[in-house]
Amino acid sequence: MNRLLSLLFHQGVLDEQFLQLQQLQDQTSPNFVSEVVTIYFHESEKQLRNLRNILLDREMWDYVKLGIHLNQLMGSSSSIGAKRVRNICAAFRTAVEQNNRSACMRALEVLEHEYCYLKNKLHELFQIEQQRVLGDAVRYPGAVHHQ
Amino acid sequence: MPDMDGFKLLEHVGLEMDLPVIMMSVDGETRRVMRGVQHGACDYLLKPIRMKELRNIWQHVYRKKIHEVRDTECHEGLEEILMMRNVSEQQSYDGYLYCGGDMTPGSKKRKDFEHKYEEKDFADHSSVKKARVVWTVDLHQKFVKAVNLIGFEKVGPKKILDLMNVPWLTRENVASHLQKYRLYLTRLQKDDLKTSSSGPKPDIPPRDAPDKCTESTKVQQNEVVSSHRTPNNLIIQNSSPTIHEVDIKRNASLQTTKPKKILTGYAAKTGMSHPFASTQYSSFNSVLPTQYCWGGGSKEIQFKQENNPPQFQVQDGFFTGLGLPAQQNIMPSFQPPDPVISPSWSLKDHPNNMELSPFLLQGQHFSSTNVDHEYKGVVEYNDQEFLYDPLRYDYEYPTDPLEFSVIDQGLFIV
Repeated sequence: MNRLLSLLFHQGVLDEQFLQLQQLQDQTSPNFVSEVVTIYFHESEKQLRNLRNILLDREMWDYVKLGIHLNQLMGSSSSIGAKRVRNICAAFRTAVEQNNRSACMRALEVLEHEYCYLKNKLHELFQIEQQRVLGDAVRYPGAVHHQ
Repeated sequence: MPDMDGFKLLEHVGLEMDLPVIMMSVDGETRRVMRGVQHGACDYLLKPIRMKELRNIWQHVYRKKIHEVRDTECHEGLEEILMMRNVSEQQSYDGYLYCGGDMTPGSKKRKDFEHKYEEKDFADHSSVKKARVVWTVDLHQKFVKAVNLIGFEKVGPKKILDLMNVPWLTRENVASHLQKYRLYLTRLQKDDLKTSSSGPKPDIPPRDAPDKCTESTKVQQNEVVSSHRTPNNLIIQNSSPTIHEVDIKRNASLQTTKPKKILTGYAAKTGMSHPFASTQYSSFNSVLPTQYCWGGGSKEIQFKQENNPPQFQVQDGFFTGLGLPAQQNIMPSFQPPDPVISPSWSLKDHPNNMELSPFLLQGQHFSSTNVDHEYKGVVEYNDQEFLYDPLRYDYEYPTDPLEFSVIDQGLFIV
């Protein structure tokens, strides 16, 4: 898991905010990170869908609404520590400000791609962690697992 | 928060609940931050929030406590007050962290917010002589009534205090509240000025606009103004560019005939509105993306217009609750509102239900039916290019006679 994590850091998918998130997890909230990330996934998927819906409209785009959804996505991504997603959102935002349609479409594509990548990797991360926890419990029934 | 301008909410919260508010956003533009501070935010944090920044928040709490101690030295039992305040502040401190945003807020309002607020309120009420005055709706109603009786130009804290006849209220409390009230009104006027660019009246429109709603009775406290306006009376359909200011406080019925800026307040989420039962206020409309029809019988019409067509709709009404039935016969191009309306509020059915949380109508700008507007249910505060006066000046008595009409509306957020 650490290898995966460091890979993600190296790739720039995650940044130190994710570490801060991990620090918030302790005995009183043992599944904090996964809960928060799950919420993030729900919300950001909604936002992505909204964005896509707006962009699908051939004629008129509501740039303002685009900006709002984008902002929300950006805010939550940065709170999670999803660095690449956040950067794409920022690029998307400039494209929106310039009313550049093609750039917006491209940005949306990249955004969705990055988001999927992030989601997969995080799922993987959680799976590994779960397995490790289970494994620890089996091997050392009385052990307290660190985290 | 969907459909709610974070800045307006800031003002409302600050004035109504007298709670310190911290803004959080991913947008760190200096202009934004300045606006946040202007609107009364105690702090503006940039997302992603870092622990280090949070660790400094205690300074706000401490500072506030110190100021309050100074204010309430005349009250007996200073220690008791300090203790109680400690307790209530600790309770409500978490609730202070309000994830508000700017026009495109990236955070969600914490559900704890209201709960904490309630706790705090109870703690306050537990001691009559509590230092910190909570301006409840009733209290504010009395205040407004007193101000109206005196006449806005002649109003002074002492007179208000006498009229209000609230034994435990001090002149200082009234004075500071009056100041806030005035500032709020001025800012509204300025917004009116800015937003009614194409309207025939740059200032607050005169009271007797011919095509305005015919209601014109002065609202008395606890009297529910019938907010039933037939569509004919509503200007919306005529796309009149007048602005209406309506105060939708809970017990404050307002005369809404006067064109004023429409103030709409709304709860961020349905869930939020529930804790604000009868006594609480400032429940914001939970329906942000909704549009409310001006249709007959609709008590409130709430429109969020992102861009700023200079037309304004006449605000019909008086909300007693959050839920606004959305009759969409007015604007064909509007999307149907999301059913976010809190089920506990039903404007139409309870015109006399004074217990419902008040509503503050926010300035809504939206184009008339004729205009092909892109209403998406978002308030675009930013686009209006309001000029926020960075200097909040202290002034004793406003000389602007037009302000009178504003007061008549009884609008205020308290």
